[in-house]
Amino acid sequence: MELTAIKGKKTFRGGTHPLEKKALTSECAISAGPAIKQATILLSQHVGAVCEPLVKKADSIEAGQKIGDSDAFVSAPVHSPINGKVKEVSLQPHPVLGRCMGIIIETDTENNPQKYPCSDKFDGNFDQSKYTSEQICDAVRNAGIVGMGGAGFPTRVKIEPNPRLPKHTLIINGCECEPYITCDYRIMLEWTYQVLAGIKLARKACGVERVLIGIEDNKPQAIETMRRAVLDSKNSENIEVVEVKTKYPQGGERQLIESILARNVPTGGIPPMIGLVVLNIATCAAIAEAVVLGRPLTHRTVTVTGEAVSKPGNFYVAVGTTVGELIDFCGGVTQKSAKVLLGGPMMGLAIGDLSTPITKTTGSITILTGEQIGKAKFERRQTACIRCGRCLQACPERLNPTKIAHAVKYNKLELAESYYINACIECGCCSYVCPANIELTGYIKTGKIYLARKKKKMPQ
Amino acid sequence: MLSELKVSPAPHISGPMSTRSVMLDVIIGLSPAMVAAIIFFRVYAVILTAACVISAVLTEYVCNLLLKKENPLESLGDLSAVVTGIILAFSIPPKLPVWAAVIGSVFAIAIGKMVFGGLGANIFNPAMAGRAFLMASFGVLMTTWTVPATIDPAMPQIKTTADYSDIRTQATPLALSKEAVKKGKDTEIVNEQMRALFFGNVGGCIGETSALALLIGGIYLLIRKTINFHTPLAVLLSAFVFALVAYLIEPQANINPVAHLLCGGLLIGAFFIATDPVTAPLSIKGMWLFGIGVGTITMLIRIVGEYPEGVMFSILLMNAVTPLIDRLCKLTPAGGKPNV
Repeated sequence: MELTAIKGKKTFRGGTHPLEKKALTSECAISAGPAIKQATILLSQHVGAVCEPLVKKADSIEAGQKIGDSDAFVSAPVHSPINGKVKEVSLQPHPVLGRCMGIIIETDTENNPQKYPCSDKFDGNFDQSKYTSEQICDAVRNAGIVGMGGAGFPTRVKIEPNPRLPKHTLIINGCECEPYITCDYRIMLEWTYQVLAGIKLARKACGVERVLIGIEDNKPQAIETMRRAVLDSKNSENIEVVEVKTKYPQGGERQLIESILARNVPTGGIPPMIGLVVLNIATCAAIAEAVVLGRPLTHRTVTVTGEAVSKPGNFYVAVGTTVGELIDFCGGVTQKSAKVLLGGPMMGLAIGDLSTPITKTTGSITILTGEQIGKAKFERRQTACIRCGRCLQACPERLNPTKIAHAVKYNKLELAESYYINACIECGCCSYVCPANIELTGYIKTGKIYLARKKKKMPQ
Repeated sequence: MLSELKVSPAPHISGPMSTRSVMLDVIIGLSPAMVAAIIFFRVYAVILTAACVISAVLTEYVCNLLLKKENPLESLGDLSAVVTGIILAFSIPPKLPVWAAVIGSVFAIAIGKMVFGGLGANIFNPAMAGRAFLMASFGVLMTTWTVPATIDPAMPQIKTTADYSDIRTQATPLALSKEAVKKGKDTEIVNEQMRALFFGNVGGCIGETSALALLIGGIYLLIRKTINFHTPLAVLLSAFVFALVAYLIEPQANINPVAHLLCGGLLIGAFFIATDPVTAPLSIKGMWLFGIGVGTITMLIRIVGEYPEGVMFSILLMNAVTPLIDRLCKLTPAGGKPNV
């Protein structure tokens, strides 16, 4: 059978082209991560309600045991990746919130078997028909699966059929547009059939027919592998791999939808409003693992990369491993001064505490050298806006970043709102292209927090 | 080993462009016109350009000192004062006395830019503000046009002023065009000069005579993406359409529309002055409105108004309405207006 060719480069308006730097790790197969003595499981690793701890100090825990959960609809439970004992339940460093309640589990036995990926359990003959939609949704919820691309929206809420917002298409996001990161790329190459099984299950759960897998054209091998797998496997009608143009932020769900369907998600809205569900590649793999094998989401693939780390690579890491441990596992940092990012260089969070644990949404740890960050941030000063309009043209949401940022700078939040500050997806394109080196994204993020506080949606 | 962890908001990398690189590109883009200016006006071009650039940079430095800036040299590094100096020099007649050029340059930077708060805050293009000041103060000097050094004896000589009796002056193509409009005939004088207009072998301001050199510089800026094509295209297109309509209505009184594009400051205005980001609108739609305004007002002045040339006035007028254009062309987010 011939491979279906898709004509024309699919893309969205705006965006930018940062250096990809994916070659650092794109050929590194997913290998086992560090064997940990202690895991720090944060109780908020997702969008939605924070989990309540289900265990207390000195309880014995088994690997895969649920240790935190919430009754809220938008939430996801957390599980222990290791056998052990609860050392403490206390405030722990959190990449976004600063501090958050977390459970520290210590291994008490030497006999703590390491968990391995399960892609060998899947092949092209996978049949999703023996699972019902509810079974899949429940399994996904119980496994604590959240969007693993970064946002961490509970997957069950996404895939559950909703009579008010009927869905017609499932979009799988294999763009991985952030520079440096390669974890989804490796998953597509190595866990191909597991991903496909997850896609079939998600499609079944959503009750939709059509599936579009969007992959950027800088990953021809992934496109080829996924296309071949779709053709070779059973029950894969209406699953199509769509090649999209390599441009940042192609992997933003709103941008991906614009690229492949030429439709825009309403401002302030979510994809289900136009009948779509968008799932990330790693999430699909996790769905297959959870539904078929009943294994909760306790491990994930993390890319450790950047010019300042000795041995970059892709690792299968227990959630709860600290960033410092993982970096040491990769041979440590080669520089005196560096910036450690959870995520890629465009949207990643710079952390100031290496004891911050890996969460379900941490796709990569990028370590930039002092020289690189100096070039971008510290040596060049922010100068006055020359009103060149580059940020307007780079903005994938077609906003006016300079006006918003300056409104925030002078504390005119209403003005910022009139320029639709809340429609900003914080992709960082505006700051990236700014010739005056203005922290546009930083100002806009700050403004959004101020506004949320003003409207009492967020604690002071 | 790691001893210092740096933190800052995302993104953690930044693109290659800086204000300095943008300005440097503009300077490179202006260099073909500089070469043409040296060919046609020889030492005058060099002296006036140097005088304008040096006085512009010095003025900015002095202003920074007066404003008690932390580092008075810092803002000079963005090269914007150099660009202002060059553009001002390119838009004054070759035989303007050096002291007048210096006055224009000081005005351009001190009043045109620094008073508003420096780069990014000025409402009017500083070079055009300086030129307008010179025009108002030294009208005669600013409209005395020297014959290019690569002299074309066939060119008509219309007047010599008392002060500059030793210099051969000539009417610029635009002055001739104005005559033609007034008399209702004699457009051939300009129409026959197309070749000279294209290469720059005519009377005019230092940097604006050679259409070829300006086009090369403009295309360089477009390729480097220092400017985008919307503004120049809007200026040239609207000016062309206006001139074409006038030409079709009364061909004996109006010069060829292509000649209109080639002569005067239209090309330097379209590629280098109207594209000054600080004083032009932010959005693409705004850039079109701005460009159409510049092109139309220029042609209105050239064909209907009293002055032979109108690029400076049209740009200054459109600079003044830029905030309004920005307000008019408010962008709609990709997902439409939020329904709150």
